Amino acid sequence: MSSSAIDGVPAIELRALRKTYKLRRTETVAVDGLDLVVNRGEVFGLLGPNGAGKTTTVEICEGLTIPDSGTVSILGRQWGQGEDHAIRARIGVCLQETKFHENANVREVLSLFRSCFDQGRSVDEALALVSLEEKQDARQKSLSGGQRQRLAVATALLGDPELLFLDEPTTGLDPQSRRQLWSVVRDYQAAGGTVLLTTHYMEEAQQLCDRVAIVDRGKIIALDSPADLIKSLAAEHFILIDGEQSPSDEDLLAVPEVVAVERQTERIVLTVESVRGALPLLLQIFSARGIEIDGLSTRHATLEDVFVDLTGQSLRDGEDQ
Amino acid sequence: MRWRVVQMVARTAFLEFWRSPAAVFWTYGFPLMMAVVLGFAFQPSPPKPVPIAVVEAPGANAVFQSLQSSKRLAVEMLSPELADEALARGRIALLIKVDVDGPVLRSDPTRPEAELAHLLVHRALRDARQGEVAMARIEVEDRPGSRYIDFLIPGLIGLNLLGAGMWGVGFNLVQMRVQNLLRRIFVTPMRRSEFLAGYLLGRSVLVIPEAVAILLFGVLMWGVPFRGSYMAAMLVIVIGGWTFTGIGVLCASRARTIETIGGLMNAVQLPMWILGGSFFANEALEGPVRWVAECLPLTHVNRALRDVMLEPGTLADIWMPLSFLAAGGVLCFAAAMRLFRWQ
Repeated sequence: MSSSAIDGVPAIELRALRKTYKLRRTETVAVDGLDLVVNRGEVFGLLGPNGAGKTTTVEICEGLTIPDSGTVSILGRQWGQGEDHAIRARIGVCLQETKFHENANVREVLSLFRSCFDQGRSVDEALALVSLEEKQDARQKSLSGGQRQRLAVATALLGDPELLFLDEPTTGLDPQSRRQLWSVVRDYQAAGGTVLLTTHYMEEAQQLCDRVAIVDRGKIIALDSPADLIKSLAAEHFILIDGEQSPSDEDLLAVPEVVAVERQTERIVLTVESVRGALPLLLQIFSARGIEIDGLSTRHATLEDVFVDLTGQSLRDGEDQ
Repeated sequence: MRWRVVQMVARTAFLEFWRSPAAVFWTYGFPLMMAVVLGFAFQPSPPKPVPIAVVEAPGANAVFQSLQSSKRLAVEMLSPELADEALARGRIALLIKVDVDGPVLRSDPTRPEAELAHLLVHRALRDARQGEVAMARIEVEDRPGSRYIDFLIPGLIGLNLLGAGMWGVGFNLVQMRVQNLLRRIFVTPMRRSEFLAGYLLGRSVLVIPEAVAILLFGVLMWGVPFRGSYMAAMLVIVIGGWTFTGIGVLCASRARTIETIGGLMNAVQLPMWILGGSFFANEALEGPVRWVAECLPLTHVNRALRDVMLEPGTLADIWMPLSFLAAGGVLCFAAAMRLFRWQ
């Protein structure tokens, strides 16, 4: 990391950002007055369903999209002020989907991207960062999805960037490849790097991000650390009880710790303030009514629940939009 | 076979096309435009006179006079050397030598317009002698360097440079744009000039071996002469390839779909196929069409190649077409630099 990483300005500063797209006379607001500050050294996640404006926001930061209004400051510099080249030399970008030259091997792709940085890592170092040393002679078509994605991240790391953009880096990857990429991101952060990533995987955000912003319809509707966002919920725990029959809502809500009851097919989901407090009382109700329990499980609230709580809509629903 | 499936596939295939404005334009709009343009170009008009030459010799003047009476012939009197050259370069369809036994008609019968020239000359000579038909003797032009194949091979090299240069870059660049690779490169500190220059260099080098292969094939297989400077010929191929690659990059600088780039490149190449002088000499053209032909890079590639293959041409002889090509290449590159879009 170069010494300029330590200077005072935030890595990213967005003010009143707005971007609309016109398609066949209908205007879609992709980003609607968004403010955001990403500090140096943090992994920051933009979370939200597809179409929420995450990618547009990231592409504005990357200089790929010009906003209609608002200000963008990347490492203290602005796009379009004659500093574009200087910004690009200090950032690393992994787009949502890039296909490199089909017939180029891993080393050749990296060499091409390395050539345009005056300073940076060697190709061998980049290969090692993403554990692709053994695949360096393999062509694109023989790489798995996870390997391709790690290559894409490696191209972003070649210039030894201060700021790394990862747009849905693990979408479509198997759990193992996903974990490999997470460790690459953690190593990068440990070396002092800043990351702005988008994802619609809750687990990813919880695992990786120091702070997340939940984006919906082009606006940030919540911004905090994953743990604090979850704490902000009225209750952080869920008890899931399976069975053909169940007590009435009134009976269940009579338990002081129970905050909400949701009924699914042969299952009820109870939102509770504490599992330890609620469970014995609930079991008593079931046994008093002579209702059999086929299965019982508990889980801690996730960012997904935060999103549902904030928007009344599940993240998964958003994927179909 | 289930009809509803066939129906749905047909519907999808149709809509996929119909909803892509670029595809619709290049499939329907462009051919329609061509029909209109060509319709105007080929309005019914008196047939063009066929160019022929009479070789200077005692007694040739009388023949020259009698041929001049024909409105269908454009006759000129040339020295033996110039007449041979004009025939070789396709500027005339036939030449007439006059000796003590009368006129001898010389041409390569594989040339498209040779047969017509024969008929017209016979008719003109017969009309001039008012019934007294003197059958002129016929010689087949088969000296290497003067045959139609000798004319054709340089033209084919030119066409090949055009095709390989343009198709080689057009699709590839648009493909890179479609699969977001150009956007990915855009967000690195790579400069547009670096990308375009490198791309042009890498791709234009590719057209050289193929052009050289056709040249060797022509020389070894068909005995096409190579009378000029090898260096000059190589330079024509390199600069020509560079120019056509530059045109390809320019065409692809904004195209966002494969249909658009395909149509655009066809639109650029078609006039060169017709007027670029590969199959027939475009020096015989007149008026605005000639002017258009002179602006086509292929015209200059072909001219320079014939100068160094069919004649003992050196760099000094072809500096004009070469500088035209080089200027064209630089212009295309400059335009591509301005117009090029990464996304």
